Amino acid sequence: MAPDKNSPKDHPVDVSSRTFNFYGKPASGEIASREISKEPSPRAKKLRDLYFDAKSSASMEFPYWYTRRWEELPGEIPIIRRAEALKSGFEHLTPVIYPGELLVMGKAGYFRGSYPMPWLSEAYFMASGDKLYREALESGKLTADTVTTMGKGGGNVTQSAGNVVSIAGKFGLRKEELPILIETARKWKDQSVDDVGHKYEQMVPGYHEKEMLMRSVICMFDSGYTLPQGREVLNYYYPLQYGISGIIGYCREQANAVAGYPEMDRLYFYKAVSLVMEGIRQWILNYAEEARFLASIEQDENQKREYQEIEKRLLHLADHPPRDFHDATQLVWIFHIAVLNEDAISGLSPGRLGQVLYPYWKRDIQKGKLDHPQTLELLECLRMKFTSIDCFASMGVVGGVLSGNTFNNLCVGGITKDGNQASNELEMLILEAGMTCATPQPTLSLLYDEKLPEEFLLKGVECTKIGTGYPAWINNQVAMQFLVENYGPEGMTVEEARAWAIGGCLETSPGSWMPLTLDDEIHWIPGGSGPATSVGVHFVSLPKLLEVVLFDGMDMRTGQRVFPAHGFPLDTYESIWNAFKHYFHRAVEVLTLTNNIQHDAWRKISPSLVNSMLKPDCLKKGKDIGQLGSRYNATFNIEICAAVNLVNSLAALKKNVFEEKKVTLDEYRKAILANFGHKTAQESGSYSLLDQVKTADYDTWKKIHKLSLEAPKFGNDDPYVDKIFGEWQTWFCNMTHEFRSLYDKPMYACQISVSTHAPMGAVTLASPDGRLAGTTFADGSVSAYPGSDRNGPYALFQSATCWDHARSQNSQLNMKIHPSAIQGREGARKFLDLIRAYLRKGGFHVQFNVVDSRMLKNAQQQPDKYRDLMVRVAGFTQYWVELGKQIQDEVIARTEYEEL
Amino acid sequence: MYLPVDVFKGLCKKQKTGIRPEDPQCDLFEKMPKCKFCAMYTEDGKDIGKCNMKAMTYPDLPALHCTAFQWIQQN
Repeated sequence: MAPDKNSPKDHPVDVSSRTFNFYGKPASGEIASREISKEPSPRAKKLRDLYFDAKSSASMEFPYWYTRRWEELPGEIPIIRRAEALKSGFEHLTPVIYPGELLVMGKAGYFRGSYPMPWLSEAYFMASGDKLYREALESGKLTADTVTTMGKGGGNVTQSAGNVVSIAGKFGLRKEELPILIETARKWKDQSVDDVGHKYEQMVPGYHEKEMLMRSVICMFDSGYTLPQGREVLNYYYPLQYGISGIIGYCREQANAVAGYPEMDRLYFYKAVSLVMEGIRQWILNYAEEARFLASIEQDENQKREYQEIEKRLLHLADHPPRDFHDATQLVWIFHIAVLNEDAISGLSPGRLGQVLYPYWKRDIQKGKLDHPQTLELLECLRMKFTSIDCFASMGVVGGVLSGNTFNNLCVGGITKDGNQASNELEMLILEAGMTCATPQPTLSLLYDEKLPEEFLLKGVECTKIGTGYPAWINNQVAMQFLVENYGPEGMTVEEARAWAIGGCLETSPGSWMPLTLDDEIHWIPGGSGPATSVGVHFVSLPKLLEVVLFDGMDMRTGQRVFPAHGFPLDTYESIWNAFKHYFHRAVEVLTLTNNIQHDAWRKISPSLVNSMLKPDCLKKGKDIGQLGSRYNATFNIEICAAVNLVNSLAALKKNVFEEKKVTLDEYRKAILANFGHKTAQESGSYSLLDQVKTADYDTWKKIHKLSLEAPKFGNDDPYVDKIFGEWQTWFCNMTHEFRSLYDKPMYACQISVSTHAPMGAVTLASPDGRLAGTTFADGSVSAYPGSDRNGPYALFQSATCWDHARSQNSQLNMKIHPSAIQGREGARKFLDLIRAYLRKGGFHVQFNVVDSRMLKNAQQQPDKYRDLMVRVAGFTQYWVELGKQIQDEVIARTEYEEL
Repeated sequence: MYLPVDVFKGLCKKQKTGIRPEDPQCDLFEKMPKCKFCAMYTEDGKDIGKCNMKAMTYPDLPALHCTAFQWIQQN
């Protein structure tokens, strides 16, 4: 395409060396390893080795029994029908116990087991059925060895082979289970949450725009049938205090008390909960039976004794509350996976588990029943259990959003009910286990408060320094401000706000203090007290929306119209900003309404029962979380992606087009369509600005590209662009309150990228900030675009805190630091000072990759040698080899801080 | 005695050695209750069948905790 007269081609300049991906001196010499390396106990090491060798595997056992029971009860009350189906699923799961496990039970019958849930959505299996059958036929031509020995991809089953079919590029399913998968999916056609929700969402005026928003990938996914629960904190109080029999007994009493009285739904709720608890009880007993069998055939005396102890523990927990720390940990794990088995869920967080379990641990330590090495070993085993959690969902969700992770976030620190520091010795051991048994899950978050002791904070720094990517550092006081503002209308006090924790990656979630009574002493333990967050509008790609603004409603990648022409002349910066706000407002409006309908279908067809039982005050009210049973219900939010690319682009347009008038808007449009004279990321195979390939007409566009790259960039303490960023944040955080959730509560702002900055970048043309077509966006929400932060960490902090973080559920800052910059005790102190500096400015979250970028490049070339290398992406830690190249390239390109 | 690790492989519960579903049977082999070994099962297509002539099922469905399971009587 030819540029306009007086276009940039008439002013050639050299931009060939304008890439900045480090701050300080570039790393040289040997590739720096992480400073410290710790090893797990021999037991945990064996389990981790087994994990490294295990592939993500799906089975049809649970969905088969669920569907079979569902079909047997066509006229039943829906919540009872659902409870019976879940009960049948739990009762029939075949137990698997691995040698050396101290904590047992899993989602499904494999080490990394999971299963499809066609009652949520069956469309993928229906649409892919023929293809899957074809692949199953062809897979026999490949040997299983080609998959089981591959390093690249880690545990992902990326292709069909032997008797295994690959689903969604991640999960393996035995070929002999494929027909039943397709047949089961067929039974849910027109009955699944997806299908029913879709039927009714089309009644929303302007529904066509929603379709176009999804097709253009301005919006990433619907939450109602993909991941309807999660990004929340569990509450283990009721099983810990009353045991399963106690809960069943309570439900039966309550059912008797409310039967025949108004608000009859309470009767069905209590009946449904007791049914599911019976199913979970039988599931535990089945495992006890398996442990007994294993003990009967075991020749090693130690292992035999451990199987016998497992059997005794499970037999006890099937009916009674836990007796000690080991019991309590096992019971917590059982209920964690019981919730995961009722829905497709990501981000189900155990919350402040070290404070929940502390009373049991302290008592065992005092009695001499347990010591620190035994505790550490058990905590390592718990890490292996959490790391093995897989979430079965479509490729778009598993790869595009989750990067294969499931975000079970464990928090340490914070403050107590009465306002004192809340850290304890068990949390020190949790941090230690995170180092000795470095695995992606549970990821750790440290709720930073000025009251926390220095020793505890330095332990957190030690863990972050080791390169695990955790703990993330979170501002306790900023979170509490957000919570009181958001949940105050539902009665939240400052005292209650102190019970909060992170749900999922980085979703501030409400909590409550629960009175755990042990030996006649009350311990106020924190636990989650609201349903899923990050449901509602997810995710909105801001750079793609700006692209549609610039092309008057058109998606130029597909040639399809997304919105009616906006009618703004775009002859001033304000006109562009107003057109953007107009389209954004419209997108949020239609997405809110359609998602409310999907979630309504979810709560009617597939109501939560296990999670509802756990969450105060569902049991007390006799209502599930879909009927406002929770204490706090204003959890729906509006989530955006790539604000930094949007703001950098607005700054470039403002400066280059409207203030300095070096380029016309038409020229910008043409340069964008020409990708500034470069091949697209899909063509070049590179998803950052590094290693891009120029086209023959590069000279035509290089000046405009240079102007774009050199326009003010967020992250440098530059008031020009920071003012735009602050204006965006203030407008966004305020406008979200105009929209009402399904539960008639105001919505709020959420801004974390997770992995969506990769697929959303992949479908977006070049942007006015100089980013090229198809490349990954900036991660997080206040991270600088890779390589564009040139003034050091404190300048980045200044930019990131140019707005009030307490107005949003979260903000996300990710940084990469070279290991040499924080070496030794002095380095640790310096590192803590850096973290404090950001949090004291009002930053909500900061997290670090402590790694030499050259190691990441090596790992990209030789993945087999780096099976255990972990990196932090955006709210979660993941094995490098299980990340897609779009994210890998972005992490490599992030600015590496060589000095602080 | 087969303990599945993933869809490709497992461990022998007794000897802790690695095995695959496709491996030849060893001396320790014991049948696990599955629909295809149940007297109630009838085949109804490739990898699909019926339980008690009514409910759809599949031959490799584990039946360890199915209350209706009955081993096929061997002649």
